[in-house]
Amino acid sequence: MGSAHSVPAEMRALADRTGFTSEQIEHLHRRFRQLSRDQLTIRKENFDSIPDLEFNPIRAKIVHAFFDKRNLRQESSGLADEINFEDFLTIMSYFRPIEMNMDEEQLDRFRKEKLKFLFHMYDSDHDGKITLQEYRNVVEELLSGNPHLEKESARSIADGAMMEAASICVGQMGPDQVYEGITFEDFLKMWQGIDIETKMHVRFLNMETIAHCY
Amino acid sequence: MFLLLPFDSLVVNLLGISITVLFTLLLVFIIVPAIFGVSFGIRKIYMKTLLKIFQWATLRIERGAKEKNHPLYKPYVNGIIAKEPTSLEEEIKEIRRSGSGKALDTPEFELSDIFYFCRKGIETIMDDEVTKRFSAEELESWNLLSRTNYNFHYISLRLTVLWGLGVLIRYCFLLPLRIALAFTGISLLVTGTTVVGYLPNGRCKEFLSKHVHLMCYRICVRALTAIITYHDRENRPRNGGICVANHTSPIDVIILASDGYYAMVGQIHGGLMGVIQRAMVKACPHVWFERSEVKDRHLVAKRLTEHVQDKSKLPILIFPEGTCINNTSVMMFKKGSFEIGATVYPVAIKYDPQFGDAFWNSSKYGMVTYLLRMMTSWAIVCSVWYLPPMTRQPEEDAVQFANRVKSAIARQGGLVDLLWDGGLKREKVKDTFKEEQQKLYSKMIVGNHEDRSRS
Repeated sequence: MGSAHSVPAEMRALADRTGFTSEQIEHLHRRFRQLSRDQLTIRKENFDSIPDLEFNPIRAKIVHAFFDKRNLRQESSGLADEINFEDFLTIMSYFRPIEMNMDEEQLDRFRKEKLKFLFHMYDSDHDGKITLQEYRNVVEELLSGNPHLEKESARSIADGAMMEAASICVGQMGPDQVYEGITFEDFLKMWQGIDIETKMHVRFLNMETIAHCY
Repeated sequence: MFLLLPFDSLVVNLLGISITVLFTLLLVFIIVPAIFGVSFGIRKIYMKTLLKIFQWATLRIERGAKEKNHPLYKPYVNGIIAKEPTSLEEEIKEIRRSGSGKALDTPEFELSDIFYFCRKGIETIMDDEVTKRFSAEELESWNLLSRTNYNFHYISLRLTVLWGLGVLIRYCFLLPLRIALAFTGISLLVTGTTVVGYLPNGRCKEFLSKHVHLMCYRICVRALTAIITYHDRENRPRNGGICVANHTSPIDVIILASDGYYAMVGQIHGGLMGVIQRAMVKACPHVWFERSEVKDRHLVAKRLTEHVQDKSKLPILIFPEGTCINNTSVMMFKKGSFEIGATVYPVAIKYDPQFGDAFWNSSKYGMVTYLLRMMTSWAIVCSVWYLPPMTRQPEEDAVQFANRVKSAIARQGGLVDLLWDGGLKREKVKDTFKEEQQKLYSKMIVGNHEDRSRS
């Protein structure tokens, strides 16, 4: 094929920023080229070429997350039309497994980033709060495959869960208090004590050190 | 100018002699054996020599890379991420267990459930089974074709010289030879079958037709330098049966038809293919469909059934995957040919990728480019296994029968048996598959929710 690989200096910069090893970056670069059909950027349509992804009920939200500017660490909000390899790596870096040599502060930052990624997935109108309607949307999508499920059941499940969330975050509410929505701080509170780091990562296989060639 | 004259005639004489010698050699070593179906074993010796050279080349690259500390691309045949084999239910239970510590027997929806789907989604984006199958299989040793080497750098002088020599041999010697042979084979096929077509129907015509077909396919096999090993030839398809095989490239037809006499099924094309098809059908009854008829499944099934029920007609050759797969797996068989009710003779074809990649990626290369690539490879080495015949049992339907045949072929050829539809190369997943996962999850949540509200 003979297309140009990343120059080592560029690759090192990417490795530093995203935390992947250069080997992993090479593999991801190949995958990126496969998805983008050798173009420099990926659009939403390119994700249609992954058949296994169709299985997933929250497929739309996952693809959306790739183009969400908040996840791409850009200052603006909204959706990007296309992403390049660096952006692709940035999103993938949210799913890096934790390393043994991380200290408390790094671990905490890592965890916050992963939770922020999830928060953005729920908060679809980018206003910084998960409202009841957004919560309902997520539950409906997750349960959408079942034809026997009426909308009412999905709704009541979502409402129940939301009330529980409110009780954790705000405590007992008065009868006339209205719960606006889950903010990111509340979201963090809900996850206190829950070990999410091992659940939200993708582990790379250990490649052999013997050199093979084509 | 006059001084050149004696040299001129010398050159012309030499040229004349060498061409005559070449043609005689061609005739004796290639065409005559093709007619009689014998082999001198030249191709096998060729193959062994090539293997030795490849091994040397591979070792040389490895050594050169180590010396220069050059990073090499490493192959990843089994995927790059460790996918955990736990099921949906186990995972969600675990996520919840490590979470709020609530009682496990009242599963309701929790925020953490989204983790599972999120992670699965990202895993498939990083690396998925199906798309991998459709790109050409990646090799572990280099076969001196730069098209299969991703890091073809200048490693050593000797290796580059060898590669250059290889290019010269392949393009300047082998390619013209192969094109000449292919041309001979095809023209003999067309003229031979047309001539046989004029004979009255009878045993003589059948005999001649069979041998004309076989001879021309054998010449084509030599035109591609295909080295084929047939296993279990006693299971070869008989009249009134359907021969079913996995599909990697259009060459599969030539490989199978050079060892047996089949009736082909297909759509009538225009151009050269059309000429060949029309000539072939004069000598013996092949089943060609017009483009409009192909869409009508009942018509197709009816004609195939008629053909199969006539015991004097030849076995039909069908490739049920519907498209070319890259020869590491077998995809879903279309059930049409299995509904007809005839005996099915499965055949497994496995190509050795060391010599040249035979997979036709029709979205990447056209037919002419593909044939050119085939003719400039070293050789095409493959194995063909004839499996014992299978018939549909009374309690299974066409789809189950098709899957049974598919598993048998996959097992014999050492290919992975996949459930996916070969048509996914071009289309999207059917909605019924999509719903499975969602149904399972929602059953888990809602089913229990309803139980609780009832009690």
